[in-house]
Amino acid sequence: MVFLILFAAKLSYSLEPQKIADDTWLLQGKLEDFTRENGGNIVNTAFIVTAEGVVVFDTGPSKRYGEAMREAISSVTDKPVIHVFNSHHHPDHFLGNQAFSDTKIWALPETGKLIAQHGNAFAENMYRLVGDWMRSTEVQLPTEPLDIAAVPLMAVGKHHFRFFKMVGHSGADLLMLDETTGVLFASDIVFYQRALTTPHTPSLRVWIENLEQLKNWQYNTLVPGHGPVDTTGLAVEQMINYLHWLDKTLTAAASQGLSMNEVMELPIDVRFSGISLTRSEFVRSVFHLYSRYEEASF
Amino acid sequence: MHFINVILCRVTLLLCVVASPALHASDDPLQSPMWDYLRNVFLGDMPYQFDDRIVVSVPPFAEDPTQVPVTVDATGLSEKIEKIVVWADLNPIQHIYTYYPLKDVKPNVSLRIKVQQATPIRAAVLTKKGQWLVGTTYLDAAGGGCTTPSVANTSPYWESHLGEISAKKFQREAFDRYKFKVVHPMDTGLVDAIPEFYLQQLELRDAQGDALVKMDLSQPVSENPVFSFDVIQPSAQHHLWLRDNNGNEFEQPL
Repeated sequence: MVFLILFAAKLSYSLEPQKIADDTWLLQGKLEDFTRENGGNIVNTAFIVTAEGVVVFDTGPSKRYGEAMREAISSVTDKPVIHVFNSHHHPDHFLGNQAFSDTKIWALPETGKLIAQHGNAFAENMYRLVGDWMRSTEVQLPTEPLDIAAVPLMAVGKHHFRFFKMVGHSGADLLMLDETTGVLFASDIVFYQRALTTPHTPSLRVWIENLEQLKNWQYNTLVPGHGPVDTTGLAVEQMINYLHWLDKTLTAAASQGLSMNEVMELPIDVRFSGISLTRSEFVRSVFHLYSRYEEASF
Repeated sequence: MHFINVILCRVTLLLCVVASPALHASDDPLQSPMWDYLRNVFLGDMPYQFDDRIVVSVPPFAEDPTQVPVTVDATGLSEKIEKIVVWADLNPIQHIYTYYPLKDVKPNVSLRIKVQQATPIRAAVLTKKGQWLVGTTYLDAAGGGCTTPSVANTSPYWESHLGEISAKKFQREAFDRYKFKVVHPMDTGLVDAIPEFYLQQLELRDAQGDALVKMDLSQPVSENPVFSFDVIQPSAQHHLWLRDNNGNEFEQPL
């Protein structure tokens, strides 16, 4: 019995909201890959407490996480959650939606389609990777397609949220800038101190163009999809440098006729040795992208 | 061989029950339930030993189970090689390819394969002296590669490009490397209402028509396969010949 209680206590995300700006709270995930120990809590989610109610940006990897997030929100405010946004269709960003089924869940129209198409397969894979943390998690689709052309700006309480669509990471990436506080929720267009992932990137060059564009925006605090908050601009620099290096490395490897397995063993530039998971994510990126570079070399 | 494959795929389930590893100890470092059975199919009763000089490279995880890169490098062997048989123990169709290095090539082959689940991958080398040396590795995967319809089945592109070969020669240090891509659906026959349709034979030939390399291919080789071979006499003129199970032949000078 004691064992059971201890074991049950272990499967708790213990989310602690960290205040990063006025009314703005971050739940920072670990700089790790999905494991049975971290329950998939490797992602940043955030919420903004406005006079009208709470705005949530991403809901985490599981129903249990979504519920823990709601508890974390109630530890800070009594206000109801009124808007939820899913940044893109990757499982760690929307599988907590079930805990928000009483609110509007917004996402780009393409993201809604991609979740409907691939959500169940992603959820199954998460059960395989993190196990019991996923219990009772099911795909809850976004309810409100966010048409940015029609609604580029949303005023909630005294906060003004501006929305941007990019494509570099997943094909449909939603970024949200709180113009009132200057906080940019950059979704997975930006990873910081944690190697970026490439399973659905249209191309590295497109992703770099997105980041070059983002550099010119007015904001003072950047919340990456994974990794610590950045106020210096270094996160975007790190992304651009890594993506350029990856693109050059794969191009050079293809022009030398290397096989995919040979490329996976290439050394990684020392500039990126401080970033967690560089080797394993480099190997995954070779898997995702090398055949395109190989094709171009014929 | 293909007849055998069909039978294998039908009896796999039964064998998983019958060939329990508890019956007798196996010397397989990966303790696969299929080792004894498949060793018997591919190696027969001949003596064999596991040998680390045969390097089988796969990624740590099969991100895309329809395109898993497998490199077999037997260049560390001093023995002369008759053939190399490569298979995946837990695939519904186990045999992937048999490779014959006939002349002027280094025994180093890369291509991509489909896997249905996590599985040991074997590369068994038969030496000219009749000895079997076995390289082995384990591939982790979530699965589904053999029963996923080929991309070709949702796009008519292949119909007008079937058998098109793109090729390039790359200068390496002491040898040259050929890479070829062939447009072919490589349907396994395991997807509902899509019959098997795949390349079965490949030869890299010189100007006189003599083969440097021969390969027998099976259904697990990936769609639009990319092959890479290392040749020792780079200046010679070569051409590639392939034939599929519908009798289509494809040939291209390199």
